[in-house]
Amino acid sequence: MASTSAPMGGRAATGQGLFTRQSSGLVRELGVPAATGIALASVAVVNTFINFNAGLVSFDKAEMTLPLLLGAAIWLVAMFAYKYLLEAIPRAGGEYVYLSRIISPALGAMAGISICIAFTYILAANANFTAAYTPFMLTALGAALNSSAISDAAGNVTSQGAVATISVVMLLVVGAVSLVSIRRLAQVILVLVGIQLLAFLVLGWLLVTHSHQDFVNALASFSNHPGAYNDIIAAAQKDNIPLGFSIGASLTAVPFMVLNYNGVLYAYYVGGELKRPGRTYLYASVISIALLVVVWLGVWLLMRSTVGLDFMQSQAKLGATDPAAYGAITSLQSSAGGLGYGLILSGDPISKILIGIAVPSAELAVDLAFVAVVTRVMFALAFDRLLPISLAKISERNAIPTNAIIVAVVIGILFAILAAFVNLSNIVANLALFVALIIVAGGVAATALPYRRPDLIMRPGETALPRVAGIPVPSLWGAATTVLAAIVVVLIITHPSVFGSFTVTSVGALVIVLLAGPVIYLAARQMRLSRSSIDLRLAMRELPPE
Amino acid sequence: MFFGRPRKRALRIYFATDIHGSDRCFRKFLAAAESYEADALVLGGDIAGKGLVPIRSHNGTLSAQVRGEAVTVPREEEGRLRAEINRLGFYSLVTDDTNIERLESEPAHLERAFERAIVEQIEGWCRLAEERLAPRVRCIITPGNDDPKAIDSVLKAAPRIESPEAEICELGPILMASCGDVTPTPWNTEREYPEEELARRLEAILDGAPPASKMVVNFHCPPYGSGLDFAAELDPQLRPVIRGGRPSIVPVGSKAVRDVVKRYQPVVGLHGHIHESKGAQKIGSTMCLNPGSDYSADVLRGAIVDFAQDGSYIDFLFTTG
Repeated sequence: MASTSAPMGGRAATGQGLFTRQSSGLVRELGVPAATGIALASVAVVNTFINFNAGLVSFDKAEMTLPLLLGAAIWLVAMFAYKYLLEAIPRAGGEYVYLSRIISPALGAMAGISICIAFTYILAANANFTAAYTPFMLTALGAALNSSAISDAAGNVTSQGAVATISVVMLLVVGAVSLVSIRRLAQVILVLVGIQLLAFLVLGWLLVTHSHQDFVNALASFSNHPGAYNDIIAAAQKDNIPLGFSIGASLTAVPFMVLNYNGVLYAYYVGGELKRPGRTYLYASVISIALLVVVWLGVWLLMRSTVGLDFMQSQAKLGATDPAAYGAITSLQSSAGGLGYGLILSGDPISKILIGIAVPSAELAVDLAFVAVVTRVMFALAFDRLLPISLAKISERNAIPTNAIIVAVVIGILFAILAAFVNLSNIVANLALFVALIIVAGGVAATALPYRRPDLIMRPGETALPRVAGIPVPSLWGAATTVLAAIVVVLIITHPSVFGSFTVTSVGALVIVLLAGPVIYLAARQMRLSRSSIDLRLAMRELPPE
Repeated sequence: MFFGRPRKRALRIYFATDIHGSDRCFRKFLAAAESYEADALVLGGDIAGKGLVPIRSHNGTLSAQVRGEAVTVPREEEGRLRAEINRLGFYSLVTDDTNIERLESEPAHLERAFERAIVEQIEGWCRLAEERLAPRVRCIITPGNDDPKAIDSVLKAAPRIESPEAEICELGPILMASCGDVTPTPWNTEREYPEEELARRLEAILDGAPPASKMVVNFHCPPYGSGLDFAAELDPQLRPVIRGGRPSIVPVGSKAVRDVVKRYQPVVGLHGHIHESKGAQKIGSTMCLNPGSDYSADVLRGAIVDFAQDGSYIDFLFTTG
């Protein structure tokens, strides 16, 4: 799908120990940097500042070091499971192609259609989040540029209409940018990821170069409230908010951090466009996970040192549970977390601007990456005739699925408008559970791969797969992923107050989304059989190479 | 709508093309007969690989550059190393520094080395087809512009392979005309002809068919402007031409193929040549298909095409295996 015409060798020549003859040829487009960009963008690197805050709100006495490390470890295990899947089936479509080729077309359809629906909703949710975050951005930009007009505008973009308008504009921008080639898109994403990393570095620099007392003074100055720091902690204690560190609470926060890393492996969704898919995917994923661990853990430890755990816990919880008491002390937006700390510590306009635009950059990058992901799943589904074939049409000019992009963005806009005016939280309450179930699906597919389709991973000349304790290595990685993801699922289910409650509406929505795929598959298959001699199942058969 | 009755199938073809020396893709091609319940396998050209990796033999070890990385293995692992190189669609040659210098300095020597490697591989594939294919399955392999003419005789001599290049062959209810010739390309490959000459060659094949017969054309080159022939425009240095910040995409198919398809109206046209231009397009009543190619990732793209007893076309399905 995504290849450009490029000469592999116009004439006989040597290069790196390879002679080529006169012939035309192709190359896949995405190398390690581009795949890394897509993986990092899918995570929204900078949102962790906000997510740290959300984690402290949700988990009493939590400390994020352990969840950050364990969350990364779980994704590292999953990375190896997906590496085997991608090497066996190096194509776009993620869990849809893996499950449909290895286990069952109906199960694959369940994953594919539900991913399309859920990820398109996530596009909209990110746009809404950006709109909700716009006041903070305007405050930061106003402060940077000494413009009261910009700062005052922050108060004018909080209405439902403004949120809907900003969301739609953002998704239109996302749609327009997504219409360039995947390689160019990856470059845009890399720039946006770069802005986020720059914001991280700026924040890290601010935290390193300021002492704890500097922060206390800066908060007092920003809030026009001498003693704001201690007053926030005192107010939290007065509200009986538990402060300090507990290993149990930190372990419970692991699923939260697993979800925070979600997306870090998403380069497999564009597997059809990766050069040397297995190797590119592995390198991109390792780089992404390592970078996130270093940056996130580094900044978290710096925040602990400069800001203090008790203050962060007090601010997060008080801002969420007693906004009146919090607002009486400071105007610093509590949900901004680390970005807020950076804003009050920064003295120069450049830092303020970077901190202000970091979140919109992150959300833009996430939406661009998610459009790439969701349209590749749509492409795979349409290629197999489960969605209209026009969605598998590739633009000759840019080698992208143009129709799929348009459909994803239009549906995203409808979701965004709906979410701006109607409270959908009941319906999408189990989104976190869905994301965890998708990881389980990948783990199950990897576990089954050596048993159901050993031919797809057997190397030439091999007669048996490498085994440990009699179990094929890919199955071990798959089983480990399944078990770890299942633990996350259990923790999500047993903590509904944090990860989403289970109501008739939310469970009903999840069931409908999951059942849509098998129903579409069975209907499409039956319709085709009624007019054609070719069974749809043949499109989902992976050819044995040996 | 759900319970209609489709026309009964009399013939199922599995068509793939442009596998460029990929051993894994060829093995998948053979497996397609059983997986897709095909009666005939058709491989439409450009089966020869493009790269030759020299393996240096020195002091009981073998060293080569694989995927840009230096690899050294004991001599006992020669089979594994060569299989790994071949999996990338490249040939390998165990040799010494003197011969490598000769390969670099003498184009004719390099060409002979390539030809030997290609013929050796095709002979191996023919043996594999003999071992693996069920007796009921017909296997048709025709060359494309990237294939040296030396393979034609190898294919024709193979007992389990049919290679009706520039001929018409009977295939159940249909007749199939095959031609691997193309219009000139920037790479000046074999089997390239100007449009006028190509038109004469195609007409000469098709004029040999009985009137009113149901024809399928297996022409490696796609019809010009059909949507099956879009590729990046290249400059004289073979670099993509950029216009308006984007690679310029142009049709590169053959007008001669388009004209004969329009005039003779075969039921189906099977094409390849342009890997990135996978698609299906009707020209008049002819369904023209190009399944594309992604051989470098071990992926075999193909098309299942069904025909009824009267030779009419029922349906097609693109596959990725």
